[in-house]
Amino acid sequence: MKNRTLAIFPVVYIVAMAAGVVYAEFKKGYYSPAELGSLRQAAPIQLLPDANYQVSAYPVPAVDLAPGEGLQDVQIYCNTCHGPRYITMQPPLPATTWEAEVEKMNKTFGAAIPEDNTKRITLYLEAHYTTDNRKQ
Amino acid sequence: MNVTERCLSRRGVLKILGVASSGIAATRWLGPDVTMAQEPARGKAIETFTGPGANPHWNSVGPYVTEPQKVPLILLTDRPVQLETPRHYFRTAFTPNEAFYVRWHLEGIPNAVDLKDWKLQIEGNVNKPVALSLPELMQKFKAVSLAAVNQCSGNSRSRLQPRVPGGQWGNGAMGNAMWTGVRLRELLDRAGVKSGSLMVQFQGLETGAGPAGLGSNRFLKSLDLGNPVLDECIVAYLMNGEPLPMLNGFPVRLVVPGYFSTYWTKCLTWIRVLSAADENFWVKTAYRVPDTPRGNTAPEDVKAGKVKMVPIGRLPVRSFLITPDGASKIPAGMNVTLRGIAFSGFGGVNRVEVSDDGGKSWMAAKLGEDHGAYSFRTWEAAWTGKSPGRYSLAVRATDEKGNTQPDEPVWNPGGYLWNRIERQEIAVGNAS
Repeated sequence: MKNRTLAIFPVVYIVAMAAGVVYAEFKKGYYSPAELGSLRQAAPIQLLPDANYQVSAYPVPAVDLAPGEGLQDVQIYCNTCHGPRYITMQPPLPATTWEAEVEKMNKTFGAAIPEDNTKRITLYLEAHYTTDNRKQ
Repeated sequence: MNVTERCLSRRGVLKILGVASSGIAATRWLGPDVTMAQEPARGKAIETFTGPGANPHWNSVGPYVTEPQKVPLILLTDRPVQLETPRHYFRTAFTPNEAFYVRWHLEGIPNAVDLKDWKLQIEGNVNKPVALSLPELMQKFKAVSLAAVNQCSGNSRSRLQPRVPGGQWGNGAMGNAMWTGVRLRELLDRAGVKSGSLMVQFQGLETGAGPAGLGSNRFLKSLDLGNPVLDECIVAYLMNGEPLPMLNGFPVRLVVPGYFSTYWTKCLTWIRVLSAADENFWVKTAYRVPDTPRGNTAPEDVKAGKVKMVPIGRLPVRSFLITPDGASKIPAGMNVTLRGIAFSGFGGVNRVEVSDDGGKSWMAAKLGEDHGAYSFRTWEAAWTGKSPGRYSLAVRATDEKGNTQPDEPVWNPGGYLWNRIERQEIAVGNAS
């Protein structure tokens, strides 16, 4: 095999030189574990010819919240009205903005989170999701 | 050994190699390096968040998710559902239903609608309240069709500096569809709007866990009865010739041509004529923009209480480059087609220009088919990157009222009305 390669080498090289071609470096066939993951396809659902138009439940993928003091309060109280992805979807925000957001939930939206829990939620957000400390 | 033999011998080639410095490349091309070349880097995921700087990507950075009746879309939030349409679905004038973006406010989104029970109610300050089934809407009223862009008020919010809280949309919180349904005006006339009425309120099937009377309990939007857009509104039961996906408002949604999507109530079920101004959160407090040119202001002015806020209205003129998207290198000298879309809520787009020097010089693009003043207008332009390098492609549109996209950013506390000129960096490589 090696000898054969050597035998055709000069011919091809001369053709290349004559044509003035600089060959691109062709690379192929590298694979790796799928770091980007994959998504399952949804199975078709059975549709009956009645008047009820139904879709499957809306999926809630797991969300990575920063571990720390107050996380449990977030999971209990914030989750009453909306998923915690509302937190991770935000850009890093100043601490004062987080405070105002939690206050809006209580005052404007009537969340009625007890004072202690409100404080813990605010401190949690300020400890993990500001311009100074956000990591994930 | 004759000349040919000498050339064909390995020794002869090595002599040539001594002269030609490109010999190493040739060895790689044929030799073991072709298959033993350096292992390519693994594909990496995009960052999980952007900021405090502006989001540099065309779309937002969330993961893909598969929701009912949808192809994988970019997830902003799952409960309630907010999904962004990936860039490549905007190659065409009409956005596919299954890729159309989704934005709900409250977690109580219907998973099912039973048309045996569902009726569209027209009530409030009317002579005769009316309740109409879907067959009645389809058969007793004239069907009209209109192409119109539905764009979220907060589309491109992740561009703002400083960043503001809210849905961190890239550019994909928009879509264009052919909407078919009945005229809102005919429905109002059927019920008979009483004199002295001020507004008409729209309510869909979405509900929230918050206390009654607050914005966290119901999503309600209203328009002034004197607003001429009411004559153009449609209660649509078809979207691109198909029933609406549940997440886009099955069985009917309000279409308010030229206006931001906040007014396009999904799963519309109550049309309520009001004799007083609507004081609910979603009208009085939310979706308000500064009463300034382009809705632009500064954080200091808001803090100082200097800014008068008014309800958001029409879509400012915008345009987008869809392909090339910067994911691939273009060989120098290759004549490629730049493609994109443009729209305005103030009348049709009648000029789109592109630039390859970041906006210093402009050339006209060719406009695609005209589907009406409120539709996406596709455009294309031939372009060649003559020499290798990085090019900043830019696109700007002008509507028939003469509004041209500016190159200055917008800032307001809600993160609304972004319509700055879009740019895309393109790498042009050596072609030989």
